[in-house]
Amino acid sequence: MKAPASWIRELAGLPTGTSAEDIAHRIAGVGFEVASIEGDTIDFEITANRPDCLSVCGLAREAATAFEVRGPGSGVRVPGSSVQGPTQPHPPPPKLTHADVSVSIDSALCARFSLATADVTVGPSPAWLAERLTACGVRPINNIVDVTNYVMLEMGQPMHAYDIAKVAGPALVARQAVAGETLTTLDGQQRTLDASMLVIADRDQVVGIAGVMGGAGSEVSSSTTHIALEAAWFQGVTVRATSKKVGLRTEASTRFERGADIGATTTAIARALELLEEIKAGRATSAITDVYPAPKVAAVIALRPSRLARLLGDCVPAADVERILGNLGFAVAQAADGWTVTVPTARVDVAREADLIEEVGRHWGVNRVRATFPALRSAPRVSDAGVLRARRLRRVLCGAGLQEAVTFTFMEAAAAAPFSDDPAALVSIANPLSEKFAVLRPSLIPGLLDSLIYNRRRGITDVRLFEAGAAFNTTGESQRVAWVLCGQRDTHWSTRAESVDLFDALGIAEVLTNGWGLTLTSVTTDQAPGFVRGRVAALLTDRRIGTVGQIDPAIAEARGLPAGVIVVAGELDLSAFTGDGGSPQRVASLPRFPAVVRDLSLVVDASLSAATVRATIRQPSGGALSALREVREFDRYQGKGIPDGKVSLAYRLTFRDAARTLTDREVDDAMTVIIAALQQECGATVRGL
Amino acid sequence: MSALSVDALRSRFQAALEAARTPADLKTLRDEFLSRKHGLVTALVKSIASATPDEKRTLGAASNALKQEIEAALDTREAEAAASAPPKDALDVTLPGRRPFLGRRHPLTQVRERVEDIFLAMGYQVIEGPELEDDWHNFEALNMPAEHPARDMQDTLYLASPVPVPDGGRAATLLRTHTSGMQIRYMETHEPPVRVIAPGRVYRRDQFDATHTPMFTQIEGLVVDEGISLGDLRGTLNGFAEQFFGGRVATRFRPSFFPYTEPSAELDVECQGCAGKGCNLCKHTGWIEILGCGMVHPAVFEAVGYDSDKYTGFAFGVGIERLALRLYGVDDIRMFYENDLRFLEQVAL
Ligand SMILES: [Zn+2]
Repeated sequence: MKAPASWIRELAGLPTGTSAEDIAHRIAGVGFEVASIEGDTIDFEITANRPDCLSVCGLAREAATAFEVRGPGSGVRVPGSSVQGPTQPHPPPPKLTHADVSVSIDSALCARFSLATADVTVGPSPAWLAERLTACGVRPINNIVDVTNYVMLEMGQPMHAYDIAKVAGPALVARQAVAGETLTTLDGQQRTLDASMLVIADRDQVVGIAGVMGGAGSEVSSSTTHIALEAAWFQGVTVRATSKKVGLRTEASTRFERGADIGATTTAIARALELLEEIKAGRATSAITDVYPAPKVAAVIALRPSRLARLLGDCVPAADVERILGNLGFAVAQAADGWTVTVPTARVDVAREADLIEEVGRHWGVNRVRATFPALRSAPRVSDAGVLRARRLRRVLCGAGLQEAVTFTFMEAAAAAPFSDDPAALVSIANPLSEKFAVLRPSLIPGLLDSLIYNRRRGITDVRLFEAGAAFNTTGESQRVAWVLCGQRDTHWSTRAESVDLFDALGIAEVLTNGWGLTLTSVTTDQAPGFVRGRVAALLTDRRIGTVGQIDPAIAEARGLPAGVIVVAGELDLSAFTGDGGSPQRVASLPRFPAVVRDLSLVVDASLSAATVRATIRQPSGGALSALREVREFDRYQGKGIPDGKVSLAYRLTFRDAARTLTDREVDDAMTVIIAALQQECGATVRGL
Repeated sequence: MSALSVDALRSRFQAALEAARTPADLKTLRDEFLSRKHGLVTALVKSIASATPDEKRTLGAASNALKQEIEAALDTREAEAAASAPPKDALDVTLPGRRPFLGRRHPLTQVRERVEDIFLAMGYQVIEGPELEDDWHNFEALNMPAEHPARDMQDTLYLASPVPVPDGGRAATLLRTHTSGMQIRYMETHEPPVRVIAPGRVYRRDQFDATHTPMFTQIEGLVVDEGISLGDLRGTLNGFAEQFFGGRVATRFRPSFFPYTEPSAELDVECQGCAGKGCNLCKHTGWIEILGCGMVHPAVFEAVGYDSDKYTGFAFGVGIERLALRLYGVDDIRMFYENDLRFLEQVAL
């Protein structure tokens, strides 16, 4: 809301020496941020709860209160609220007969419709009036329209002037539109209306969209001699919805949608008539017709000093409470337990005691409130496990050499689809700002992949990123952790340059799950969109909880990755990671007897999985076999010396009995059984122990 | 060849030994003085033959002493040199070490955890909730009924079709515009006293440029008990600002508006770029706005079934990006989402 300081000064009764900066500073101090000061004009940011301050009058009330203007005659000198505050009464309306325009309301969305008629001579406005409009950002049009706009800026009540000659009847009714009705608005656009919209119609057709914009057909023009001045109250919700639907945001709609002053319609008309006479543009030809079926009763609120002190934590002297509320236009009366406060109808934001306390707080100074600290009356409750889990996982992954990334939750469909089990299960945003943010991520991997590519394209060759967060599909959101890697596994000068591969990604999953006390197995899968077939594993506990593998190069290249770069990735659903992972677990007692370690070197068909061989080793039972604690691959070799289609595998077996020391003989026997099983089940050739 | 005197020879040797640096220097020195063929000491000894018997006796003893002295000095220096020579299998320790990879937490995580830790120490619990919300938890229960103009303050991203939530409650229809919905969820299931913070990602239908982003991180705080006042809010936030910025920092409250708090305020901290004198960073006001806050609106308590006469409370919402921009001296918010390693690797471990 732009307003000249001189106008505010005049209405608030401030000394003429009060500068625009002073006024801006004081009003900012009571909750209205100042966007700019240009010359004498101050641009205030008016919060959604204060439509009354979309008027110079409202701002002047704030200024008068903030400057603590006192004494008789202080306060705002224009017809303002219907509640008698320290305002000066406007001149009595001329004693005339009722208007020659019939006025009626035929919708609950209009609660008051006031109207008067006048004879006018259309012409330009006087300079002072045009200048004030211009300062407030409103373009002067002609003296009649300018007066309606002037009253709106001054009092906050939007008004409209009709050329009665162009109003059929002449009759005006506030009603809901009939679906399909049309109206050409003042801006020359034809609008199609629907039944939810409130309109003003004459006997034959719609002449205005209520609270949004009038129609071109009944517009005041240079030939107009007789006008009807309308000031009405339209329900904010309707005006807001209609304004959105027709795509028209106007000075009027902004005020109505936040809540206009239902008490102001007749005073606004009186003020407009007064101005018309003052600038010699016209003269009233009727009394004010006021259709107001259920006059609003001003809200009366009890304000208790005890509640005031409890909420603000500070005692505001009674005299200040009364001064502040009084200057703001509230009628304050003493009551047994504090005060009874009558709320001006302009203050649509004030409905209960807390609202009054805010008014007192604002002007007494929230910044003056003494800082205290709330007592802890009970022991703090434990934080959500998910929060602690994410903290722990982040630290483990950072320690494992991965850099944390934060990527957007939404992305373009083309980035998300390749990683979605079911593209139909992608969650779309109904009103995305652009196609780049159209769907919610079905996995954290596509976002990480884009970040990896971003770095790679800036010459950073070794990228290791992870992210923890939510992924989405049509069945809901799930917490995940994911990682992507490319470049060298080890960049030290002593090692041969080797690209990362699936096992780097798999190792991270193993560290995370083992650290959480979960047993993880990895198996071949064809159900892994976005990955290379044969270079991807499903990760299982008691169910599938994730995937690791090599990203399909075609997908990565489509996102801008240079050809030939291997990217591996992994993702885990955190639902398997129960608890926060930080509670101490019971530990097993340490072994009292030594372990016996045996190495075993085999040649088997290359198609045989390590899991099968491991399972075969563990299959036999009896004797020392029950003491087999660990089976671990420590070498895998194909090439010179090994027949085509075969692979050499080396295993380290650890035997340990909890109750005694195993003898070599027992272990030898066990190994013989194991070797026999391997020969029989796996067709293995044992290369020596 | 006329031999030098014993004294002259001694000082010449001492000067040469002083100047010797390498084992090769010592070898040259040994040659020069002690060589059987042309050593200077050897020449001196030989020259004794032509001396008088008296001279022979004194000169003989002195030259012998000198010879032993030189031998001892050279032996010592050669031993020292041998001891300090690198062993054959010595490593070139000037080569770089084998560094384990070590990742860093994202700056937004670091700031978020810093804020969480401050409030944890004040007895708060950290709670989390869904990013997809329903209208009730995001708006209605927070005193923003349908078509409430305040909804324009938070331009919302809606889902094309509703998505179920884990607890079987209302299906989600939007991306939460703040984590305040967690206040409601928490109060619906817990009785006062309440002392929680709810961090998380929030979404607005905003452009993506240097100062705006359609996704950002917020930490919402809520305290409810009997007798909680605006003074308690002030004291809590002053304590937070002091711990967060490290040391005493001037703060001020400015009245503001949020539909779910009454009274509402904004907390400014003194600009540290200019110590409150005014600079570009603070738009020449000397203050930087860091969060919005206020006393919980009684309508919010009524929405969750709390006795609004018995209990009062305060709420506040901190934007993590805003704090991070200040902390890291970054002027483009997009840097937090590009994940450029050249940026991420500059932050603390
Ligand atoms: Zn500054």
